[in-house]
Amino acid sequence: MKRYDLIVIGAGLAGLMAARTAVEMGARVLIAGGGMGALTLFGNTIDVLGRIPPGEDIAEGMSGFIDSFPEHPYARTGWEGVEKALDAFQELFPPPYHFSGVTRGNCLLPTGAGTMRPTFLIPATMASGVGMMPASTLVVGFRGFKDFQAETVSLHLRCRGAVIPFPRYRMGGMTAPAIARLMEDHSFVERLGEEIYQRMEGERFIGLPAFFGLREPVAAMKTLEAATGARVFEISILPPSIPGMRIYNRFHERLLQRGTAFLMGTPVSEAIVKDGRCRGIIVKNAPLGAGYQADRFILATGRFLGGGLWAGIERIVEPLFHVPVAQPSRRGEWFKGRFFDPEAHPVSQAGVETAADLRPLNEKGGIFLENLWAAGSILAHHQSIEEKSREGIDIATGYMAARQALAS
Amino acid sequence: MINKCEKIPDEARMPPRFADACVRCANCMAVCPVSRVTPTFPGPKQAGPGAQRFRLPSEASVDDWITLCTGCKLCDTVCPSGVPISRMNLLAKAKYLREQGRKPRDWVLARSDLYGESASRLATVVNPLMKNTVIRKILDSVLEIDARRELPSYERQTFHRWFRARPVAAGGFTQGRVAYFHGCFVDTNETDVGKAVVALLESQGLEVALPPQNCCGLPRLGIGDFRGAREMGARNIASLLPVVRDGVDVVFSSTSCGMMLRHDYSQILGLAGAEELAEHLFDVSEYLLSLYDDKKITPAFLPVKVKAAYFAPCHLRAMNIGLPALELLGLVPGLDVQSVDADCCGLGGLYGFKKENCAVAEAIGGDLAKAVARIKPDIVITDCEGCRMQIRHLTGLKVVHPVQLLRDSLKPLPVTG
Ligand code: SF4
Ligand code: SF4
Repeated sequence: MKRYDLIVIGAGLAGLMAARTAVEMGARVLIAGGGMGALTLFGNTIDVLGRIPPGEDIAEGMSGFIDSFPEHPYARTGWEGVEKALDAFQELFPPPYHFSGVTRGNCLLPTGAGTMRPTFLIPATMASGVGMMPASTLVVGFRGFKDFQAETVSLHLRCRGAVIPFPRYRMGGMTAPAIARLMEDHSFVERLGEEIYQRMEGERFIGLPAFFGLREPVAAMKTLEAATGARVFEISILPPSIPGMRIYNRFHERLLQRGTAFLMGTPVSEAIVKDGRCRGIIVKNAPLGAGYQADRFILATGRFLGGGLWAGIERIVEPLFHVPVAQPSRRGEWFKGRFFDPEAHPVSQAGVETAADLRPLNEKGGIFLENLWAAGSILAHHQSIEEKSREGIDIATGYMAARQALAS
Repeated sequence: MINKCEKIPDEARMPPRFADACVRCANCMAVCPVSRVTPTFPGPKQAGPGAQRFRLPSEASVDDWITLCTGCKLCDTVCPSGVPISRMNLLAKAKYLREQGRKPRDWVLARSDLYGESASRLATVVNPLMKNTVIRKILDSVLEIDARRELPSYERQTFHRWFRARPVAAGGFTQGRVAYFHGCFVDTNETDVGKAVVALLESQGLEVALPPQNCCGLPRLGIGDFRGAREMGARNIASLLPVVRDGVDVVFSSTSCGMMLRHDYSQILGLAGAEELAEHLFDVSEYLLSLYDDKKITPAFLPVKVKAAYFAPCHLRAMNIGLPALELLGLVPGLDVQSVDADCCGLGGLYGFKKENCAVAEAIGGDLAKAVARIKPDIVITDCEGCRMQIRHLTGLKVVHPVQLLRDSLKPLPVTG
């Protein structure tokens, strides 16, 4: 059996961040993901806590938030922990494609649903969309590209919209990854810029669907800016999220360089536990199962979507280790009366409770396993979607779990 | 062209609930190499679980784009819900081809094992013929085998003949015996890979056996010929099972043959004995690395001052064993090896030779070639023969199997007796 310093279970943002942190500390790491995680589902920008109003200092907002929610994952990391982790994340993205905050607080960015959405760190390709001014903005969509409806978006954002055919490929049915690939071809982007230029009516800003290529999105943006004379920005679209793929690819590339092993595709099917410690995991790829050993383990399998939690008939369970899951006492209480209740359903706070060092707790409130830590959305007591805290929780707890694990 | 013998309705073997497991996360769309280069293929989400809901064994297929799926299985490797996407596509493709009839070309390409041996014997005649432009034009227009693509040339002495003819190895094998499944391509077109496997294993104290073997059957499966694939599989299991029951493990050097033997024999073809065999089948690098990790071998490699690009084939990734060859290559001093940032070579086995797929294969491969060029390597290393062919074709660089480089950097064996 192979032996590692750390095995991270889950290849979403929390797992990747944990692996990256551990590798930087010199550890030999294996990532066992049951698929690619949710980065292509979200991953357009880095939310930390969207409920803090733009203009308010995020450090102050966070400390107030932590005081009111002492069980929240952020209460484990503290704002300093979040800040350090975000710095480490940003280091992975040197310019030109860097992530930055516009002020010390949240900013508002237009979305593919036609809303202005608060978020904290944004990639360079979205910077010109911050605080978009409708009167001087043109939103451009493409004929046959169903994942971005420019008419609807522009209607909601109260700016002008235009739908144009793709240059060279005038057919529909192109997917975002296919267009992202074309956007790496300089002459295609130039043509696109010309097509857009012809439809402009003096706008100074142009919003386009977020598909500016995977490798050099800023170069594509600059080419479009040169062709149109306007500031150009990306607007998030339906999955798969190209900006999310950029994040995944960057982690993957850097981790591979540092010798991190990736197991993708088939999830961890079994954990081997003995005398209060996890000894190893079994990854099954039918008909075979392979074992991997490590000194420490981080559980970053997400909630329901990634399979980190399973909803049974009466109870929600964590299927791999059977870590106790904090949850409403009866299924009848999982959902609030109205489905679109602004207060999240109690079920969406379900998750794994941990000690201050992010080690999961057993029923009696003791440490569940000596060498198991948890990170990301599987943690209890957050409502990442409603709070707009998804990426912040992933990054901060992934970072902290790895540091705690390796300090042990 | 309908194969009348094929009675088992394979598409009926897919439990429909798999389609419902899809949570529409679109991870698969993010990685599919085909839908990235052409809008004519709707991508794994729609081709797999999306269309599966509407496919009924009793109704004719309507998805003519299904033949565009290369079967690379990358979609399977990123799906968080365990939807067997590529398998759905394979079964849908089989049904489509059965209804539409396969082209003679499909049979010719899929059964290269039947003429490979003869072609090797006649290599001096066959090879120039395969390069002859008139013949290629005929193949192109009659058989629709794309003329732009160089066909692999045959070697005069097959690998298994070489193995039998070589002087018996000296002995002193401290690590026991291991059997080698070489696959067709090593046997007739790239014998040096097989010779490198033998040299490398022997250098580490392993005695190599060569049990009788056939084509793994993957080319047949690729055109939906389940019956033919099962036949090949059953023969290989009959030959290899007694070997492993004797306590001898089997290694393979082709990741696609390996994928087929290890997983598809049981999971897709449902062959008896396949699961037992799978327990003892290993990728050759995986095998050596595990001996190394267990401190049973300590290979001593001479420094190699080379800059190499390593490409992980799709089927290696689908096996989900990490990148054992890359780890082994890391043991060679002086070797600067970087992983190629690309998803797929696009050849898809025989896929890229087919005229209607050639443009797709070239577009996917073109992205790979660019990723290779960014590394500016002296050589390219990859475990799959299809990838090697494609990368040679697109970059003109020297492309080798990891075992070839490892063999070349072995310290010369001490001369005994
Ligand atoms: S097997 Fe490969 S080509 Fe086919 S749908 Fe999946 S990713 Fe695409
Ligand atoms: S990756 Fe799996 S779950 Fe996600 S869309 Fe594709 S088939 Fe559905």
